[in-house]
Amino acid sequence: MTNFVALHNQQHQALRIDTGLVESLGASNNMVPVVLSEFLRLVVHYPIVFTKNSETGNFLTVALLGFENGENLFWNNEQWQSIYTPLNIMRQPFFIGQDNGQPLICIDTNSSALTTDQGEAIFDSAGNETDFLHRIKARLAELLEGETRTQDFIKTLLSLNLIMPMALDISFANTQQLRVQGLYTINEEHMAQLDANQLLALQQQGYLQPIYTMLASLGQIYALIQKKNERLAHA
Amino acid sequence: MNNKISNIVIVGGGTAGWLTAGRIAAQHRAQDNKNINVTLIESPNIPTIGVGEGTWPTMRSTLIKLGISETDFIRECDASFKQGAKFSSWVSGTADDFYYHPLMLPQGFGKTNLAAHWQSARNSNHTMPSFSAATCFQEAVCELGLAPKMITTPEFNAVANYAYHLNAGKFSTFLQKHCCAKLGVQHILADVTSINSAGNGDIASLNTAQAGTIAGDLFIDCTGFQSLLLGQYLQVPFIDCSDVLFIDSALAVQAPYEDEDAPIASHTISTAQDAGWIWDIGLLHRRGIGHVYSSRHTSEERATEQLQDYVGKQFKDLSLRKIPIHCGHRKIFWKNNCVAVGLSAGFLEPLEASALVLVELSASMIAEQLPACREVMDIVAKRFNETFLYRWARIIDFLKLHYILSKRTDNAFWIDNRDPATIPQSLQELMQLWRYQPPGDHDFTSNNEVFPAASYQYVLYGMGFETHYQYSQHLLHDSAFAQEQFLKNQKNIAQVTRSLPSNRELLNKIHLHGLQTI
Repeated sequence: MTNFVALHNQQHQALRIDTGLVESLGASNNMVPVVLSEFLRLVVHYPIVFTKNSETGNFLTVALLGFENGENLFWNNEQWQSIYTPLNIMRQPFFIGQDNGQPLICIDTNSSALTTDQGEAIFDSAGNETDFLHRIKARLAELLEGETRTQDFIKTLLSLNLIMPMALDISFANTQQLRVQGLYTINEEHMAQLDANQLLALQQQGYLQPIYTMLASLGQIYALIQKKNERLAHA
Repeated sequence: MNNKISNIVIVGGGTAGWLTAGRIAAQHRAQDNKNINVTLIESPNIPTIGVGEGTWPTMRSTLIKLGISETDFIRECDASFKQGAKFSSWVSGTADDFYYHPLMLPQGFGKTNLAAHWQSARNSNHTMPSFSAATCFQEAVCELGLAPKMITTPEFNAVANYAYHLNAGKFSTFLQKHCCAKLGVQHILADVTSINSAGNGDIASLNTAQAGTIAGDLFIDCTGFQSLLLGQYLQVPFIDCSDVLFIDSALAVQAPYEDEDAPIASHTISTAQDAGWIWDIGLLHRRGIGHVYSSRHTSEERATEQLQDYVGKQFKDLSLRKIPIHCGHRKIFWKNNCVAVGLSAGFLEPLEASALVLVELSASMIAEQLPACREVMDIVAKRFNETFLYRWARIIDFLKLHYILSKRTDNAFWIDNRDPATIPQSLQELMQLWRYQPPGDHDFTSNNEVFPAASYQYVLYGMGFETHYQYSQHLLHDSAFAQEQFLKNQKNIAQVTRSLPSNRELLNKIHLHGLQTI
């Protein structure tokens, strides 16, 4: 169980983060929420799609890591095999909470990446923030700002009817059939029907690039299927 | 052509008036169509009745056609989900006496008729569940108070087929705003004082107290029980059907929930009493509860007492409304250039929530078959009358079915209901047939059916009716396929009851987050 508490320079002064273990915290995620600003880095590996938050029904953007619950095809030999790992993994075991509406850095005190003897210190002996913590804070800031921008992006796409459900029927090398449900992508047909003013508005909001990045990223589904086939072959 | 139908005038601002105005305006794009004007005249002085708070699943397609967001509708009309009706105490009157009329067809319906296989299994094995439980997963969903969908299910899409319970007063206001702002309906607040005739007996125009004379090509009478245009002015007689359906009085209350987390039933509950039945409809903030009864068979005092027993100790704090009921309908619904929709066309006891669905069906037919000009109006009128006389008769048959299958003897109400002299010939014939074969689509072959054969099956077998198959063994062939369907139903029950949230939980989430459109 996770236990999030506000980060405190005295209470947590002795804590260290084993950065080698951070990626393992996402070892059994089959998707991870991502923000607009990382799309260009994500597209190197990951299909970027929409899905719905099961608690609220609201759309969010995610990088797809596997096809079934608990399956992360990027996690191999105790390693996350990628050039770029999504921010929502790399920020672990920190996250942003709220205190009276103000963002607040929290830490999961039950995280397996916490140590006291090795890894990166969060605070120095005087209780000052380390460079490591500065890097973490930059990631959290990118996520915080990114989530608002990504939600605006989604709202705009919904209002233009540009999101559609994705039919993903996959046959793997071992003839296993899988129907992946609950994923959504850009509706290309509706994109093509937008008028000049609508396109201009998308361009000015900086949304055209992420739209086409999402479409291009769908090719990564084939790479993901290949990863799965390799895994099945070695099973 | 100078007699084209351009000006459509609707009189009455209840749900019937607004649904009809909206449906016509949306169909003909009145917002930007200069050839069609839809005007609704509403009296600022006459309160609306707000019939029935139960709908059919047809309401989902009606709302879609009107271009309404389901999230807005649910939030603004206190709507909740309805997945059918539970009938308690209708057969024997004992505590365990209940059956369901769900909104989904029996498993495999259309590929097999499970009724025969179910009866045969039931006769040899008494642990076989009831018909509705064995053939449809929706009963389990209702019994657990679960919603018919999830927060991730898009607007108007369903995991289990559903309709709504709604606050009729809020629904009228909601429709009014939408019709005027989005669909181009003109809203005039005025009292109609007199009616001006055209030479051919048509209505030429209406004089109003506040807005002068309003002329029209087609007048739609949504004036409620008073039936101002069709009944009073055009003198179309009322056909009383109290010889078949005895209910003639209603006592209604609005009961708040005990606390704000109390479960909201996701079905209408209808509990039989001495000489009638009590409806129980769960909205977001309150339940609508009422007792409809036959004053020929019980007293108002006794009926009030039974309602009080049902509602419990908060009853004394609630305001009790008494509503007289006249079951029946106009002899025709469309005469000259006037058509009646809603209570002005007729009313039946709310046992199967037929009031709003008849409004929707009427509004659809008027909108879709709107006569282009006066010359062809009588043809459309004739067709409309035939269609709706058929529909009213089928609804009367179906309502009566619930009474004739009861085995109750505690009040003459139930015994009189089983007297063949009170049962329409059409229903008697079907009952004879069904002694040897289950209801099937071949029994209902019109394009204008209201209840499918499945509904008849749910009521018949829910109430213990037995069909005898000794002369028609072929209906028991393919039992392997039938067994598969029973198993599939059990699997469905396990699967949906695991994943669906409670009715209240989903409604709260919709108020908080809304539903997505895709």
